Amino acid sequence: MASGLNVTDLRVTVDSTEILKGIDLSVERGRVHALMGPNGSGKSTLAFALAGHPSYQIAGGNAKLDGEDLLELSPDKRAKLGLFLSFQYPAAIPGVSVANFLRSARTAVRGSDLTPAQFRALVFEQLDHLGIDTSFLGRYVNDGFSGGEKKRLEMLQLAVLAPKYAILDETDSGLDVDALRDVGESLTTLRSGSLSDTGFLIITHYPRILQYVEPDVVHIMMDGRIVKTGGADLAHRIEAEGYDNIRDEVASGAA
Amino acid sequence: MAQLSVAAPPNEREEAFVLARSLPPPGPMPGRFWKIDLAKLALEELTPGSATPQFELSEEAKRKGVVACDLASARAAHAAIISATEGNVADWRSGRFTALNVARRENGAFIFLPKGAVVDEPIVVSYDLEGPAAFPYVLVAASEGARATIITRFRCGSNLELVSEIVEIVALEHAAVTYATVQDFGPRVRAFWSRRGNIGRDAELHWALAELGAELSIGDVKSTTLESGARTTISGFFFPNKGQHVDVQSEADHPAGQTQSETLFKSAAIDGGQARYIGNIRIRPAAHGVDATLRDDALLLSKDSHIDSIPALEIGANDVKAYHGATIGAIDDEVLFYAMSRGIERHEAERMIALGFFEPALVRFPTEALRDELRRALAGKIV
Repeated sequence: MASGLNVTDLRVTVDSTEILKGIDLSVERGRVHALMGPNGSGKSTLAFALAGHPSYQIAGGNAKLDGEDLLELSPDKRAKLGLFLSFQYPAAIPGVSVANFLRSARTAVRGSDLTPAQFRALVFEQLDHLGIDTSFLGRYVNDGFSGGEKKRLEMLQLAVLAPKYAILDETDSGLDVDALRDVGESLTTLRSGSLSDTGFLIITHYPRILQYVEPDVVHIMMDGRIVKTGGADLAHRIEAEGYDNIRDEVASGAA
Repeated sequence: MAQLSVAAPPNEREEAFVLARSLPPPGPMPGRFWKIDLAKLALEELTPGSATPQFELSEEAKRKGVVACDLASARAAHAAIISATEGNVADWRSGRFTALNVARRENGAFIFLPKGAVVDEPIVVSYDLEGPAAFPYVLVAASEGARATIITRFRCGSNLELVSEIVEIVALEHAAVTYATVQDFGPRVRAFWSRRGNIGRDAELHWALAELGAELSIGDVKSTTLESGARTTISGFFFPNKGQHVDVQSEADHPAGQTQSETLFKSAAIDGGQARYIGNIRIRPAAHGVDATLRDDALLLSKDSHIDSIPALEIGANDVKAYHGATIGAIDDEVLFYAMSRGIERHEAERMIALGFFEPALVRFPTEALRDELRRALAGKIV
């Protein structure tokens, strides 16, 4: 059984339009992959398709998590296998408190493995890392949250669920400098602690979140394909040059 | 407070019965709404059972002079307030089944809050209803500056088929009354209710209404802000499932300026449940400075369920703030996906989202014990 989050020739359509045109990607436990690319290149589609969003039709290829075929499974079963998606635009669930939601999610994914006291200790530690007041727990999930609060809650869920593989979809978008620092430092702490064995796929348009989490591998996606794969230096190159040079290289076949 | 006592109380039960017979039955409703033909329900053939209230009153409330007893026992000692209120707050002449309540009720529940009596512990009215037909009646009179929470509950005999209920509340200057009630009748019951409150200067009336049981429940709730500074909230929820029909109307009536209302109804339907909600804000001419909001949200949890949601504004004055908003729909796919992506199974996620939907109305009910009981009752409807 091949370990890793392994995506092979994945093709995905939305409303009969092909968005992903054959993606090959392997994320190993404990490693950080960055998936970068201009807007509209298909990065978020890959995230949603892997998490099992019903609007994304699989037109071909496969995706396996530690050898288990993901694509036939409902989203909750994928989560139970150890997959986590941090949403770019998390949905609000009015009337459901953050505390209840965290508890339900943890129990769904991991069973009742923590006593209420242990669970509480875990949550409070993460609140502290994220610079969140405990009153946050009594609020309704994402209901009336600022952009920064939503992303903090995604990080809180990441920490509480401690998945085998985590896809972070544009976690840095819409954050001001302070929120980015809190989220980034929390990621750094998780990476060096309880999530050291988690494989990350960090989807980002700008490389700024990568200053907190140095990627082992960087993939560049354009027009539904991964056009270039390299080390952390590739992210620095994007930072300096933008995507145009790479686009030109791809067009001329140099990539 | 001359406005709070307009007409004489009904003294002719027979006259009320003749009126009841002459008025048309409610419905049937347009569209896919219920098919229960109320015209076939012969009022003459209804056998009155009994409606007996019992009361839980704290020592603190007793010490402060609060009275909670059956209406007949209170008539002598509280003749003035009863005659000023009974039959004058509720518009019982306008409906077949409210008139029937006046014609047939034997007694009632009476709650009197003396001037300045502030009571923390809720006053509980437990109504025992025996069928085939029961006619509960609750009269609440809150004197100047009094504050209390009243919770009315029902216990039903197995032979119960019809309930016609009237509630009349008067809140005098600076009084504050919270009135919560839970309709959890058995599946054969047809329930008709009218709950009305008149609110004086700087006084408050807060309704919290839970509709859980009965085959058919048709009712209206109305708050009238009679003098400036009067405030009211009207909150409620209903959740018909298989074989259940609910038809609720609410009105915040603002004859006086500088008054406020906030109406919130959350309704869901599942497994063929049918409901209609009509919510109105009425701002009378010259009632300037009114601030009124109405929000009703409807959630359809199965394709065969149906909710008509009709919010309305009638504004006769300038210089007012009035807002209404309504939503209707199924559970949002994006919300469902979000919850499921956290490992929560579809059915559990739907249940969580649906129960959360009721929460903004639910938190307006008094006591954590009652709120938890209502949460369990709602959860029990999502099989």
